[in-house]
Amino acid sequence: MQPRRQRLPAPWSGPRGPRPTAPLLALLLLLAPVAAPAGSGDPDDPGQPQDAGVPRRLLQQAARAALHFFNFRSGSPSALRVLAEVQEGRAWSLLQEGEGRLGKCSARVFFKNQKPRPTINVTCTRLIEKKKRQQEDYLLYKQMKQLKNPLEIVSIPDNHGHIDPSLRLIWDLAFLGSSYVMWEMTTQVSHYYLAQLTSVRQWKTNDDTIDFDYTVLLHELSTQEIIPCRIHLVWYPGKPLKVKYHCQELQTPEEASGTEEGSAVVPTELSNF
Amino acid sequence: MQGTPGGGTRPGPSPVDRRTLLVFSFILAAALGQMNFTGDQVLRVLAKDEKQLSLLGDLEGLKPQKVDFWRGPARPSLPVDMRVPFSELKDIKAYLESHGLAYSIMIKDIQVLLDEERQAMAKSRRLERSTNSFSYSSYHTLEEIYSWIDNFVMEHSDIVSKIQIGNSFENQSILVLKFSTGGSRHPAIWIDTGIHSREWITHATGIWTANKIVSDYGKDRVLTDILNAMDIFIELVTNPDGFAFTHSMNRLWRKNKSIRPGIFCIGVDLNRNWKSGFGGNGSNSNPCSETYHGPSPQSEPEVAAIVNFITAHGNFKALISIHSYSQMLMYPYGRSLDPVSNQRELYDLAKDAVEALYKVHGIEYIFGSISTTLYVASGITVDWAYDSGIKYAFSFELRDTGQYGFLLPATQIIPTAQETWMALRTIMEHTLNHPY
Repeated sequence: MQPRRQRLPAPWSGPRGPRPTAPLLALLLLLAPVAAPAGSGDPDDPGQPQDAGVPRRLLQQAARAALHFFNFRSGSPSALRVLAEVQEGRAWSLLQEGEGRLGKCSARVFFKNQKPRPTINVTCTRLIEKKKRQQEDYLLYKQMKQLKNPLEIVSIPDNHGHIDPSLRLIWDLAFLGSSYVMWEMTTQVSHYYLAQLTSVRQWKTNDDTIDFDYTVLLHELSTQEIIPCRIHLVWYPGKPLKVKYHCQELQTPEEASGTEEGSAVVPTELSNF
Repeated sequence: MQGTPGGGTRPGPSPVDRRTLLVFSFILAAALGQMNFTGDQVLRVLAKDEKQLSLLGDLEGLKPQKVDFWRGPARPSLPVDMRVPFSELKDIKAYLESHGLAYSIMIKDIQVLLDEERQAMAKSRRLERSTNSFSYSSYHTLEEIYSWIDNFVMEHSDIVSKIQIGNSFENQSILVLKFSTGGSRHPAIWIDTGIHSREWITHATGIWTANKIVSDYGKDRVLTDILNAMDIFIELVTNPDGFAFTHSMNRLWRKNKSIRPGIFCIGVDLNRNWKSGFGGNGSNSNPCSETYHGPSPQSEPEVAAIVNFITAHGNFKALISIHSYSQMLMYPYGRSLDPVSNQRELYDLAKDAVEALYKVHGIEYIFGSISTTLYVASGITVDWAYDSGIKYAFSFELRDTGQYGFLLPATQIIPTAQETWMALRTIMEHTLNHPY
């Protein structure tokens, strides 16, 4: 069960010839100072060389960033993918939600010196045919149009981690939109998870779109902060997903206004809505 | 209830049978002119073979009667339970020892037990539930957990007691369960859950674990050996105020609820408030931050209570602090990348523990030092423990890896607790076998 020794991704060589090495170098350089990787090699066994591979944790985080991007790009709430396992520095297996099938993805993730929005090249094995996937999405779309009282939703999952089957559609679509936000905000040190959908502000189903305005809480791992975000997406099966969002900033002690909640966020004007 | 009551374990028969037996013994003793069982003990003897079994049988035939069998000699594989009057204890124990008969003291003082049972029976008439009706596969409120603690201690008062080690900022009692088979100041193991209040899976795992310990004592050889030589302390709700807040107002609250004049954000990260690299990287001086370390080391009553307790005890050999989520098992340091002096040993032990965990439900954990596995964090529990001389200091991050995160579905409580138990058991066994 011992995690396999991790290997560095090979220098990328795409159809247009070798990519510029600068971004990849950035990845290598920034990871160099990290000490013995977790659980992937003996720390001081003279029989085995000091492992210079990428720490498993970073691989998992990079894999997740890639999956956020993949999910957003696919624009398909019926085909959301989550990480099952990182198998080696280059490829990982994943689980397709709802279907329970295991597929493989491989990606290259380029972090540029603390900046967000990592460049991602990701390919996943196709688990269902594109046509079938579109049919699934269209079915979901029709079900969404029939949802009653989505504006009354308080939280998904509820505080005990439960998602009512009838609310699964909303969660999947919310997750899709959040994927975009999380990918965009990811940096080499900041990694996000979707903690909870906290409200539905608007749910409009027209003949050609679902217009979904909602708030979520994201969890950022390194600071442990909970970040409320307001997300507005427009979706239609087969069309690229459109997302606008605004996430709240960390509160400084001076800006604090003595709320009982006391969390490190301050309400701001949502100027881009 | 403070402190440890008369030691020894619960014998095989159910509470009802035991009471019946006690009552029967009482009647018999009354008939023989004895009214008091003070100092009488119940010994459990394990005969290795037929020869040893017959030696025990010899005791039975002695006149005047020296022992009173509750569970008589039958087969070598079955334990023999016998009540030994206080006046005969020395002779009987010498007899057992000289013939190489292994025994343990199940009840150290029957009279104490009789008195307690009388009290318990009176009390249980008032209580509405026992721990039988408590659901281990649900999440519970603070009140429910504290009520469960009282029931649990009462039902297993032979090895469990409740200790209050302090008060939270909002004056909630801070409680610790002590598991002990007696002795004075046995080397001890510390487990805490819920230091970050939103990590609900940890309290739930702790509760299940407490029940597992009492269930497995006398049945699982490893756990029995551990508890015969060591005490286990479990603090289930390490951050009671924060936990109450996760139920009432903010499910994702992490810190405690301390308030300071002039500071408008509430709460300190209790896992940054320890006196080990306090204020360093991986903690924050902004009171509004989730990793705010507080004004000074141990400034928070929840942390001070543990520090004082462990320091005063002076004989802790392992400390395990349980968090969620990420599926990791880690050892110090968090505050720096420097390895601890017994890093190799901790690495190997973590590896074994994670393998034992994996075998239960196939869940993969990664392991290593905190700073290299998770992130650099200063002023944390396990760094303090290690610097205080506790060589086996571990931190868990339980399920999952982000899909549900803190909102782990209740259906995963028992599987999580089952696998975590195997890792805990591995660590405790190693601690037992490597005294220092």
